[in-house]
Amino acid sequence: MREHSVLVVDDEPIVRESIRDWLTEAGYQVATAETGEEALELVATRDFSVLVVDLRLPGSAGIKVLEAVKSERPWIRTIVITAYPSAETAQEARRLGAVDYVIKPFAPDSLERLIDDTLASIPPEATVIAEAKAPTPAPPVVEAIGVKASFVVDRDDLRRLFDGLAASMRMIGVVERQEHYVFDRVKRFDDVCLDYDVTVHPPTRCLFPTREAMLRLKLGEPPAAEPTVDAAPQVLFGVHPYDITAIELLDEVFMTKHPDPNYISRRQNTVIVGVDCLRPSPNAFAPSMGTDRTDSGFDLLLTDIGGRFMVRVGSQRGASLLEEYAEARVPSDEEIGIQKALLDAARAEYRVSLNVARERLPKLLEDHYDDEYWQERSATCFSCGSCIMVCPTCFCFDVVDEVSLDLKTGERIRQWDGCMLTDFAKVAGGENFRHDKASRFRHRIFRKGKYVLERYGIVGCVGCGRCTTACLADIASPAEAFNAIAEKAKIKTARRLIGEITPDFGLYAPKWAKLLRVEDLAANEKAFEFAFEDGAALVHTPGQFVEISVLGVGEAPISISSSPTRGATFQLAVRNVGNVTRALHDLVEGATVGIRGPFGNGFPIEALEWKDLLLIAGGIGLFPLRSLIEYAIDRRDAFGRLIILYGARSPEERVFQAELAAWKQDAGIEFHETVDRGNDTWGGHVGVITTLIPEIEISPARTMSVVVGPPIMYRFVIGELKKKGLADEQIILSLERRMKCGVGKCGHCQINGVYVCEEGPVFTLAELRNLREAV
Amino acid sequence: MKPKVAFFDFTCCEGCQLDTLNIEGQDLVDLVSAVDIVEFREVLTGRADRYDIAFVEGSISRESEIPRLKEIRERADIVIELGACAHIGGVNCLKNHLAMDEALEIVYGDDAGDYDTIPARPIHAVIPVDYCVPGCPINTAELLRIVKELLLGKTPELPNYPVCVECKMAGNVCVFELGRSCLGPVTRAGCNAICVTAGRHCWGCRGLVDDPNIDSQKDVLEKYGLTVDQVVEKFKIYNTYTEVAR
Repeated sequence: MREHSVLVVDDEPIVRESIRDWLTEAGYQVATAETGEEALELVATRDFSVLVVDLRLPGSAGIKVLEAVKSERPWIRTIVITAYPSAETAQEARRLGAVDYVIKPFAPDSLERLIDDTLASIPPEATVIAEAKAPTPAPPVVEAIGVKASFVVDRDDLRRLFDGLAASMRMIGVVERQEHYVFDRVKRFDDVCLDYDVTVHPPTRCLFPTREAMLRLKLGEPPAAEPTVDAAPQVLFGVHPYDITAIELLDEVFMTKHPDPNYISRRQNTVIVGVDCLRPSPNAFAPSMGTDRTDSGFDLLLTDIGGRFMVRVGSQRGASLLEEYAEARVPSDEEIGIQKALLDAARAEYRVSLNVARERLPKLLEDHYDDEYWQERSATCFSCGSCIMVCPTCFCFDVVDEVSLDLKTGERIRQWDGCMLTDFAKVAGGENFRHDKASRFRHRIFRKGKYVLERYGIVGCVGCGRCTTACLADIASPAEAFNAIAEKAKIKTARRLIGEITPDFGLYAPKWAKLLRVEDLAANEKAFEFAFEDGAALVHTPGQFVEISVLGVGEAPISISSSPTRGATFQLAVRNVGNVTRALHDLVEGATVGIRGPFGNGFPIEALEWKDLLLIAGGIGLFPLRSLIEYAIDRRDAFGRLIILYGARSPEERVFQAELAAWKQDAGIEFHETVDRGNDTWGGHVGVITTLIPEIEISPARTMSVVVGPPIMYRFVIGELKKKGLADEQIILSLERRMKCGVGKCGHCQINGVYVCEEGPVFTLAELRNLREAV
Repeated sequence: MKPKVAFFDFTCCEGCQLDTLNIEGQDLVDLVSAVDIVEFREVLTGRADRYDIAFVEGSISRESEIPRLKEIRERADIVIELGACAHIGGVNCLKNHLAMDEALEIVYGDDAGDYDTIPARPIHAVIPVDYCVPGCPINTAELLRIVKELLLGKTPELPNYPVCVECKMAGNVCVFELGRSCLGPVTRAGCNAICVTAGRHCWGCRGLVDDPNIDSQKDVLEKYGLTVDQVVEKFKIYNTYTEVAR
């Protein structure tokens, strides 16, 4: 038996009855109405999951039914059916929140599928029918507590539960402060507020602190870095469903792929007691995001039904706690009815809502990427970060080293950071990939409505309204932005057993490598050769990068300059542009550095094999490209022609000069180079690198081109390559971004929704065409 | 060879040097063993010819201060502004709203003729400086961080985001929400929002962020029922020099 109910409104008996019979057969509870009035009467007294309504009805037309449902029961999903389709009525139906518009005649099984899909996108149990029945005597106390079952406890039971948990764990609950509500340490049950509207700050900071040590460092030789976690057992008491959904998002981010040790350790030591929000904040729009109710992510979930509490059990741990501390009993039908009525009343109190179905947001945002809205609305932005600092679904961070004054010990710290802050996407060389307020503002709204949903399958905004409250310029509300822009993707919810995830304690801890050799390349560039202390090879693909640590100074992403075919050591060529690279330049042979990686995708070797290669490097773009050049030389038979174009600003700035000379001599390589400005001793080609390309004869059908250089070079080189007849799929680029963590968590390297450290840094031009922030 | 460090002061209350001396316990022991403090008038009588690092507190408000400051610059590899007076001119610049003879008259009355004064200005308005430790008074943790970064060969950098970020991290309720006004949204962070955490508002003593949205700040204050004049008054306390220079 399905728990969902469907109301079918159609004046044609044959249509009405055939739908009813089909859906009843499929397990739905089906009610029918012949006229609009009849439908409105039914909607006023009973709740439905889905309304299927004909547009042409006697009495109140279908549109009027839609209007009434939208204002009175906005959570009901409506599907319009009509034999007289028109653009006007379709638009009108959409405006009134209809999720679909179906033209008669249609097959009943397709309607069934449509209803299934519609319901799959809302949390289960959201609209269960619960008709109040005559009071019945309270059922007896139950013996066994099961997961996914509801019980009733009284306030004293809850007090015992609270005291029992507080005796052995850090108890964090909601308390009043300065006429607002905050999560804080709380000792006495009577101090806990369970009927708050919203807290100033989200409870996610108890799982992902604003600042925490990830590694304990020992500087000097030999260096050491020990993972460190403070994960004292804690209880989050009184978390609202929208915040529970936000925690589920963080679970998805930190517990899947690259299991984050700090988050997971803390999460596994956290008991979550939720409470339904019966008094919504004026800025909240949780029902529109499907987050005002939840059936997962908690150990226990309370609903205050007036002196007593309905308790939903969400986990085995929750079941044991309830069994230990409370005399739980099975709820009566009356109590179930009261809970239902209270939750429905709360839902009706939300003052902000989306004018579009949230499933449509990703597409809608995508279509309005270049809209003037982003520029206009962000003009008053302070770039103060208040919106992201109060957001329960924000999780980006920065990583810094802090050291003792004797420079012998230290900690690697991660602290909150975010895309609304001016320098978030700025790299060491000074380039800021999101330098203006409009692009930062748009990125945040795209994360909230599109990128996060697409990457993690959970909404990126839970509709808590905190950012709206915190924003002094009054521009932060995602609901406002979504409504202003107004869009489709299915919301899937990931469910996992928290205890079964194994944290990777080595995730942020480097492996130690010895500096074997330093080679001066140019005034500001050096090449370093390293070997891991344990003798292991790096095992990388050309084009990948590593995170290199100089303890106390910090960590930086550096591309690998050598090919994996050249033995167990590896080379990194580095320009001195920032703190870490300067510290690297000061190192002497024998020094120990920390290495994490290799990270990123690397050049697509399989796509390059058996093809003619046209490899183009500008300036220090040769550093990553050299790994591929060496690889192609070492596996010369696996490739066709090997054409290398190299451009430097001046003869003095040419790097790897001995190798350039060797490539020129090599009969198997067609090597051409140029400098932007020559000097007295330079006898070669002068001009920017694009001037070399027209001279080269290639067969477009069997050529792949790989281009690495500064952002400015790409546009012009791509233009020349297109003239040679290369398709977007045949042009491969490697991008520089601020890859701080290397494992797809910290957020700094994002190009739109793509994490360059995981999906990149190598992309085909065809892929980049869809990423508007890329070039 | 430990770096030679010296402290100097010009027009100021010397509170930032006092706070430096208030660095407690192991940190102070570690500091004096990591560096050689060669000049510090509040605690030492010695002099030195060269300094690796010279911390300069106070703003410049008399002609006679200028040659002394230039001499410090010549003898120091690195000059660091210490505190709001040195960094942004600070409260001393409030007198810049008056004619100089009027200011002398108010302060010294009949003896005004015995003194000279010029509009007050930060240290970098007179000599080139390398770094600064902002604040009134300074955050000693930040001072220590900057010293450590210099010892490591790093380039010390200040946060380039407003106080709001640290204020939210500290878990505070927004001052505007409480019906009062605050300069946090345009002021450079690094103080951990200490004033708001202690129940007050941000006074702007650390100077403005690189790209402050002053126009929006005025709009916000108006929205919360305050006039532009009230905002400007708040601004003047520490940021007169910056505001005039804009």
